[in-house]
Amino acid sequence: MSNNSYKPNNMNPLKYIGHWFAKLGEVFAHEFSIVRHDAGALLFFIGLPLLYPIVYTLIYNPEVVRQLPVAVVDNSRTPESRELIRSASAAPAVEIFSYDANMADAKARMAAGEVFAIMEIPSDYARRLAVGQQAVVPMYFDMSLLLRYRALLGAMTDLQMKVMHDVTAARVETFGASSLGMASLPVESESNFMGDTSDGFASFVIPGIVILILQQSLVLGVMLIEGSSRERRRRYGGIDPKMVAGAPTSSLIIGKALCYTVIYLPMALYVLVMIPRFFSLPHIGDPADYLLFIFPLLLASAFFGQTLTLFAKERESTFMIVVFTSVVFLFLSGLTWPRYAMSDFWRFCGDLVPGVWGIEGFIRINSNAATLAESARPFTAMWILTGLYFITAWIVMAYIRKVSRTDSVPAHIPNTDAPSAPEAK
Amino acid sequence: MTGLKASILREVRRLGSRKMYICAMVLVPVLCALFFVSLMQPGLPVKAPVAVVDLDHSTMSRKVTRTLNAIETIDVTRRLESYDKAVDAVRRGDIYGFFVIPANFESDALGGRTPTMEYYSNMTYFVPGTLTFKGFKTVAVTTAGGLVTATLVSAGADPAMVGSLIQPMTVQEHPLGNPWLSYSIYLCPSFIYGVLALMIFLTTAFAITMEIKDGTSPQWLATAHGRISVALVGKLLPHTLVFSIVGLGIISLLWGYCHFPVAGSLWWFALAVVLFVMACQAFALFIVSILPNPRLSFSILALTGILSFSLTGFSFPVQSMYGALAIFSYIIPVRYLFLIYVSDVLNGWPIYFVRLYYVALILFVPIGCTMVWKLKKACLKPVYVE
Repeated sequence: MSNNSYKPNNMNPLKYIGHWFAKLGEVFAHEFSIVRHDAGALLFFIGLPLLYPIVYTLIYNPEVVRQLPVAVVDNSRTPESRELIRSASAAPAVEIFSYDANMADAKARMAAGEVFAIMEIPSDYARRLAVGQQAVVPMYFDMSLLLRYRALLGAMTDLQMKVMHDVTAARVETFGASSLGMASLPVESESNFMGDTSDGFASFVIPGIVILILQQSLVLGVMLIEGSSRERRRRYGGIDPKMVAGAPTSSLIIGKALCYTVIYLPMALYVLVMIPRFFSLPHIGDPADYLLFIFPLLLASAFFGQTLTLFAKERESTFMIVVFTSVVFLFLSGLTWPRYAMSDFWRFCGDLVPGVWGIEGFIRINSNAATLAESARPFTAMWILTGLYFITAWIVMAYIRKVSRTDSVPAHIPNTDAPSAPEAK
Repeated sequence: MTGLKASILREVRRLGSRKMYICAMVLVPVLCALFFVSLMQPGLPVKAPVAVVDLDHSTMSRKVTRTLNAIETIDVTRRLESYDKAVDAVRRGDIYGFFVIPANFESDALGGRTPTMEYYSNMTYFVPGTLTFKGFKTVAVTTAGGLVTATLVSAGADPAMVGSLIQPMTVQEHPLGNPWLSYSIYLCPSFIYGVLALMIFLTTAFAITMEIKDGTSPQWLATAHGRISVALVGKLLPHTLVFSIVGLGIISLLWGYCHFPVAGSLWWFALAVVLFVMACQAFALFIVSILPNPRLSFSILALTGILSFSLTGFSFPVQSMYGALAIFSYIIPVRYLFLIYVSDVLNGWPIYFVRLYYVALILFVPIGCTMVWKLKKACLKPVYVE
């Protein structure tokens, strides 16, 4: 065990620094061979960042929902009501699926999943328009997906505006107020979308998801490697024979983290620069800005993964611990439910996740053309997390090294999983 | 049945021997359920921070600002002097949009020179962007409408008549089942059961492959007198029980404690949840049978579990996806649970309309068992590949 000691006691500080850097280099170089021989880690480090962004983008690539089937119950049956239906069906979001005789028929269609909304034109529709009253058209929406509701609602708002332009001009004329210039509105307004001008789903969700993919695949890979290392420690009396002997804990974790970061730089280049261009997602930011920005994310994620190793007693537990957190982190990032509407507690939890800051910063740089200086807040936060998780990773690694030496019995595989002794073969 | 009781007892002892199981089977789904419920508790995210760029500083522009402040979904946190400063604030993430009132707004509006108000919404964040846009549009329309009303009424028109002039036709919205437009009601059920599905996948794979990894699988089969069917029932039945209780507990949390709306029958949904638990186990069993090696089966199940949140159309509809991808949504059990939830609980349609989805959930079980002969082979000769 003496040849594996990692705390040289009788070494002068200057010599120790030299020793530290020598070990750092050794760990860094050695970690590449560990990664190369671990098919599971390779799958997560290389395969996942390569394939996942493509799969996700393909799922969301249609961007907007179009041609949503709508049932119409026309109780008015007048030229005016038919004109209204024609105008409605002209909207890209709407497809008039059926004309039903009554609401019961239309509801049956909705229950069968044939239509997602019902437009009921009342019998007095044309009469009210003719006598200068307001006509009310009830519309019933299926609320299973807010995206569909939103698309249909937008179409209905436009429809209201169109009827207003058609009817109001005629009415003002008959009213005799055209001299007042009321045929058009006294104030115009103009709406502008920033960032995601297509208002599409992929354009909004993918820039966030790719950052989370980087973080989560890195954490999974790191934990797989460390989980295997802990298994070996149990098998070989507290020592991992595949680990660089005599490395101080700090040089060990930094060397490993640097190795993962180097592996991830080309992945980041692919995920952040190429994916948005492949699928023509928003990409108006400067790649130099976000590639610099992403560096602390990778480093912090590597230390974050090393910290979580505490819970990974073997390779397989990694999946049980990490996979579901992707969903939790996605919500904490504010991509679905905005962070300003979260309680202080959940906002604080989000603050502790490197990817949450990574998503915030990358989206602003990539889609809003923010500079690195304008993203200073998330950038600084990620460096602070790098420091924080370095400390926790150091504590965890020191603990694992200490405990595995005292706990294990050499030449015996402690089988915590089964109560009975394993039968060979 | 010989060996069944022994197999069940053996599995119960194994479940009790590791904290991992209680964690994966109970803690994670329950804590995730509480997380989603607590996170989206307000229902609709209100008060998106926005800015006003008032270049006019007139009575009318101040009135517009006050109207903006009165809109529930937005919160005017900043008053900025220029467009550039506002864009900068958007890039820093301080605001999600801004409303520009042009110079000479009041005099132009009154003089008939038709000024243009401009509003910008940052769509990089979908929900705040949409809510900001909606709030701004409302203010823009009411401002214009208010001016028309004022002019016409001062010219001697009947105020009631003016209302119908501004909006001769109005669409009356009826969002069925979720009139509050609550994100919590919309997202919680699908995502919580998505997490449950993921944990069922992983736990099933863990319980089976760890026998192979540790070399205890021959003993497992021996307990069941060498019959894989008995061994699997004995192993998975305790899981079914625990996961069903968790699944039903989530029902009581969402529709009991949190008072989510129920239009149909929760009993039918409870039945669907139990079938869904078994369908997920069968799905995982199928994958493990084909690939009885922990690394591959875990990877595939983890990837499927995570992708199912997107593929099953919780947020982007399956009908709008590319056909080649959309078909995959039908091999994922949680898709059927989601459809049953929408039809029965949210909309209250008769159960007749989702009868086929129940059949689909049941069919997962026999299909999932088709490859167990391969699993048996692997169990008799356990080989662990890291």
